[in-house]
Amino acid sequence: MTIGVKKVSLHRTARDQVFLPAILEGLLTSARHFFKNTMTKGMGDVDTIRYGEPDVDIKTYYPDRFRGVHRLMYRDDGSVRCVACMCCSTVCPAKCIYIVAEDRQDNAEKGPASFVIDELKCVVCGLCVEACPCDAIRMDTKQHMTPTERREDAVLGKVELMSRGGPSVATQGGLGPEFRAVAPQADPRFGQ
Amino acid sequence: MRPYRPPLVLLSHLLVVLLGVVGLSACGDPKSAVAQHDVLRAEPVDLTFHPTTGKLGLTIVNTGDKPTAVGDFRIEGGDWEAFRLATAVNPTVLRPGERMHLELEVDATSLRGPGGERRSAVVEEVAPPEIGPNDYRPASAHLQFASAGRVTSVPLRFEDPSWVSTYLLPALAKVLLLVLAFIMPVASLLTWLERKQSAMMQDRVGPNMARISIGGLTLRLWGLLHIATDGLKMLFKEDFIPRRAHRELYTLAPLLALVPALVVFAIVPFGDALCYGHLLDVLSQADVDQCAASRGGTPLQVAQIDVGLLFYFAIASIATYGTTLAGWASYNKWAVLGSLRASAQMISYEVAIGLTVVGALLVYGSLEPHAIVRAQLESHWGIVLQPVAFILFFTAAIAETKRAPFDIPEGESEIIGYFLEYSGMRFGLFFLGEFIEVVFVSALVTTLFLGGWALPLGILGASGFTSALACQAFFAGGGLVLCLTGAAIWRASKHAETLGALLLLIGSVHLTLALWSAFTGWGTALPHLAIVTIGMLTWGIKVLALCWLQLLIRWTLPRFRYDQLMSLGWKGLLPLSIANIVLTALVVYLLAPSAPVGGP
Repeated sequence: MTIGVKKVSLHRTARDQVFLPAILEGLLTSARHFFKNTMTKGMGDVDTIRYGEPDVDIKTYYPDRFRGVHRLMYRDDGSVRCVACMCCSTVCPAKCIYIVAEDRQDNAEKGPASFVIDELKCVVCGLCVEACPCDAIRMDTKQHMTPTERREDAVLGKVELMSRGGPSVATQGGLGPEFRAVAPQADPRFGQ
Repeated sequence: MRPYRPPLVLLSHLLVVLLGVVGLSACGDPKSAVAQHDVLRAEPVDLTFHPTTGKLGLTIVNTGDKPTAVGDFRIEGGDWEAFRLATAVNPTVLRPGERMHLELEVDATSLRGPGGERRSAVVEEVAPPEIGPNDYRPASAHLQFASAGRVTSVPLRFEDPSWVSTYLLPALAKVLLLVLAFIMPVASLLTWLERKQSAMMQDRVGPNMARISIGGLTLRLWGLLHIATDGLKMLFKEDFIPRRAHRELYTLAPLLALVPALVVFAIVPFGDALCYGHLLDVLSQADVDQCAASRGGTPLQVAQIDVGLLFYFAIASIATYGTTLAGWASYNKWAVLGSLRASAQMISYEVAIGLTVVGALLVYGSLEPHAIVRAQLESHWGIVLQPVAFILFFTAAIAETKRAPFDIPEGESEIIGYFLEYSGMRFGLFFLGEFIEVVFVSALVTTLFLGGWALPLGILGASGFTSALACQAFFAGGGLVLCLTGAAIWRASKHAETLGALLLLIGSVHLTLALWSAFTGWGTALPHLAIVTIGMLTWGIKVLALCWLQLLIRWTLPRFRYDQLMSLGWKGLLPLSIANIVLTALVVYLLAPSAPVGGP
């Protein structure tokens, strides 16, 4: 048995050997890109994300599910939605959420006396948001945790977290037993 | 993002055009600088003699529409005895468009000495002033001739201007204009364009971060300010010299790379000639030729030397020393390798450049760039007459700039090249020299093959467009290009709206001029200043376009391997350029009207 050698012959036509047609073709391609990118709206084919440039709004470049700095939502009366159920601090793999519960004065619910997140420990997994039963904690700010000079500044308290917050459209405490009656189609698990 | 509002843009510019047309039409028929009744015109309009000039020609042309008798030639005026007709002239009849040629000469010896005092009455005994062999007094007279009952006179002047005012000051002014207003700005611009254009070609953003704030207004100008930031960076970087480097040669090398690149610009003509005294007059080619001989004007070229192109070869080869010494003086084996490659490459390609130019020289019959451009105006551009030489010359000239695809001396991916050890502004000089060479290659190709300052098809003569149709075509075409570019730039981004509006406005003015020309037939007689400006702008646009083309080539083609480079130079360009010489010589020999049949 002989070793098969595959001979690849390089066919060079006269057109290839003159080089000029190929060079011209290449130049035309480059020039086409040049004029498309300079003369058309929005810089033509340039897909660069202008992240961090001074007059560029970063938020437009982030996907909707981007997980940024936490925030705490508030009720219609401006008080925090959190009921201090400890779900988030329990599920947190980094153990960076510290909640002290207290009685709320207005009704029977609990509320957080202090709600502290250590953003230096946070691994930005988003489990706290999923665990929250009353839409109190969110990570949809589209902001990175900014660098700080001191460690303490990266530990955010209730006031800072609520300063980014907003009202939620969810019903406080959920609908409870009335849910099936009010919105049977909202959760497929409950069926018809 | 602002919505694009085409109707408003279009309406505003239509309004500008309409207003312009109405306004210009209100001005009425433009006054031609050549009076309508003046059917006999002298070219040039006045004759200026210097002590060194011999006979000067004067052409009388009948611009009217009926035959006119010309006769009774005489020289009158204050110093009539110094001037005389060199040949006898007989009265004749000039048909429309016919030309009559006379020659005049001046007897300089009769004009020796200071002027007025000799003729004034002697009141007291004063020793006659010393008269040197080169002291002349200015003289003036006029040549008169009669035609159809009217006497026309052509002013004749004799003057002996100093060397300083005739040659030195204009030359200094031209050097400053060329270097400060063109070469340096364009070379700096190229350092930015190199990066911005490559970015645009490769779908990137490119440099855009340098910005300046003036009173709360932040200007970024597409990264143009990177030119300034780069210069500052170069100046403030450490000026490092390797410990075992040869300090003197190490310092000298960047200068030897930069200075020749600037010096060779002396031979490049960037316009025909500028006549100081006639900026607003309509001049003929004969007037401009008189100015080009430095009599009442100056050629728009720093040094008009007969050996022009040989001067370029001589000076350009000095630049090789810069690269070679840089590598050798650095005491670095990679740098030496780079400088060896540089010398080998430049020697190989200079042979090709020299032989390529020979073909062009055979056609133009001159080594002097100004004469070469004039020869192209009289027949066709070099790119038509010598297309092979154009491609060969352009290729070899790009190789001379030592940039990709011929960047073997630098070899960024292998040896970093001959300026490996240089830092700060010393490196900056090499860098700048390289870009100045790019500008020079463009200027030389423009001069040799693209008709220098001339518009295509010879539509612009010395006194204006050759026909009103040419004027309309020029302004309509230019206006259309400017308007389309302006509209595209306006739409491209909101930062560029000002620039787009400016281009649209200039384009509208062009279109207005085209319309005006269509209505009035304007454009065949333009003031000298306008002609010179259009010529210099044309030259600049050609050079800039070639610079752009060189950058396009540099960022498109892959680089050569060393052996490929050498084989292209010696086995490709050299035989082709010799073949070009032989063919050109044959054609020139066969086509030349005075070709002797039996050999030279």
